Amino acid sequence: MSKEIESRVHAALRPVAPSEEFSQKLLARVMAGQPVQPKPRRLLGDSARPLAWWLTASLAACLILAVGVQQHLEQQRLQQSGLEARREVVEALRMTSQKLNLAYEAVKNQSTSLSDEKSGV
Amino acid sequence: MKKCSLPLWLALLAPALAWAAPNPKLVIPEFAGLAQKASESVTITLDPALLAMAGRFLDGNDPQDAATKEIIKGLRGIYVRSYTFDKDSAYQQADIDAVRAQLSAPGWNRLVQTQSRKTRANVDIYIMIDNNQAVGLALIASEPRQFTIVNIIGAIDLDKLHKLEGQFGVPKLDIDLSKTPAQGAQK
Amino acid sequence: MNDETPDPLDAELAKARSGERAALAALVQAHQRAVYSLALRMLGTRDLAEDLTQDVFMQLNGNLRAIESNKHLGFWLRQVTSNRAIDQLRRRSRVPMTSLDDEQQLFSAEDDADPLLQRHLRTLLLDLSPPARAVLLLRYQEDLDPADIARTLDMPINTVKSHLKRSLETLREKTFSTQPARCEDNST
Repeated sequence: MSKEIESRVHAALRPVAPSEEFSQKLLARVMAGQPVQPKPRRLLGDSARPLAWWLTASLAACLILAVGVQQHLEQQRLQQSGLEARREVVEALRMTSQKLNLAYEAVKNQSTSLSDEKSGV
Repeated sequence: MKKCSLPLWLALLAPALAWAAPNPKLVIPEFAGLAQKASESVTITLDPALLAMAGRFLDGNDPQDAATKEIIKGLRGIYVRSYTFDKDSAYQQADIDAVRAQLSAPGWNRLVQTQSRKTRANVDIYIMIDNNQAVGLALIASEPRQFTIVNIIGAIDLDKLHKLEGQFGVPKLDIDLSKTPAQGAQK
Repeated sequence: MNDETPDPLDAELAKARSGERAALAALVQAHQRAVYSLALRMLGTRDLAEDLTQDVFMQLNGNLRAIESNKHLGFWLRQVTSNRAIDQLRRRSRVPMTSLDDEQQLFSAEDDADPLLQRHLRTLLLDLSPPARAVLLLRYQEDLDPADIARTLDMPINTVKSHLKRSLETLREKTFSTQPARCEDNST
């Protein structure tokens, strides 16, 4: 269970991007603060990325398996969340009705005492 | 620090624009200090996503679930904050005043204000109406050891809420919308 | 991942240190999401998060020469963002009232989002002390291990572990202590 909640927290805390407008403004400000020192462009070095086909294939197989397990866990999680949401709706409406009942009782008692007064009780 | 760069003409128009489109969603404080003192606290925040999710898990064949499903169909939010304390007067009315103050805004109409000597409970119910339809409900209930704030956003069908009688113990309130004060009228 | 594989941003860092604007822009673009998210979840509102993000990168501008590698840059950015956020939170006398709309921005709105967990997380983040909040975010948002978190925040590692343990326990309690009311519960 500890691993499950950790992975859910991790998923929930995926980084969120700032707005495009803010990003542009940020870049503009940072670059404006940068002292201008024109230098000749250096040639980038080669970056070799060797990948054997068998390594790619086994990685793909692991990913497919992981996705399958993940989907199953996701379904379970969604069901749990849905049941919790349902419980909260029921509780919210129950509490609302309870407070409405308080108001109703007060109005009813007032009506009763007013009609008692009118009939001279 | 960020400076507000709102054009002057927009700032001047803002109140008028706000009046034209009343917002039934209340800004509810965190009540962090009160939560610590309370023996029990309930915080329910159901936004459109959660309401939709709940709706999928309500069983249409069950009468209570079906009635609940009908009620939440037109809703866009249900927000409840409730705090219960071990002794009387553990909270101040000022704690709730920040919420009550918002109900003076244009659009809100007080439907019911009750004070019971018997239960020592005060219940205020406000409704926001737009185009002859209820679009928001606010309820503030203060009792000696508990206060509750309920804010419901969306197309509230008070008639359907009445029909929940017996399901959640909801009483018939005999509230006639046609007798509600006109939109924007002072309480 | 092989530690020997060169980080392409190391080259950008070297160019940025010698004054190339495009290289600095590349570094900002590569790291702004992490910095902004950390600031947002620490401070709770978009405005404050944007201000802090901007301040951090402006501070970077003046400290580029001290940064040795892209990995070091990541560490530096997290450290500065966390510590500045903690300082800001400590200076604030009360948590401002936030509308429920602000809550939505704290988390991603992707299809597999869990709105309930997000809500519990949001409450937890609000309840945690600023250092504990930073620990949680550095662990689960930034994937740092406790030793790295301890170094980042200049905090004993046992304190880091204790914060994590308590936060997870609280979250587990809130998430799993629910009793659904009268429903067809098919969960095992």
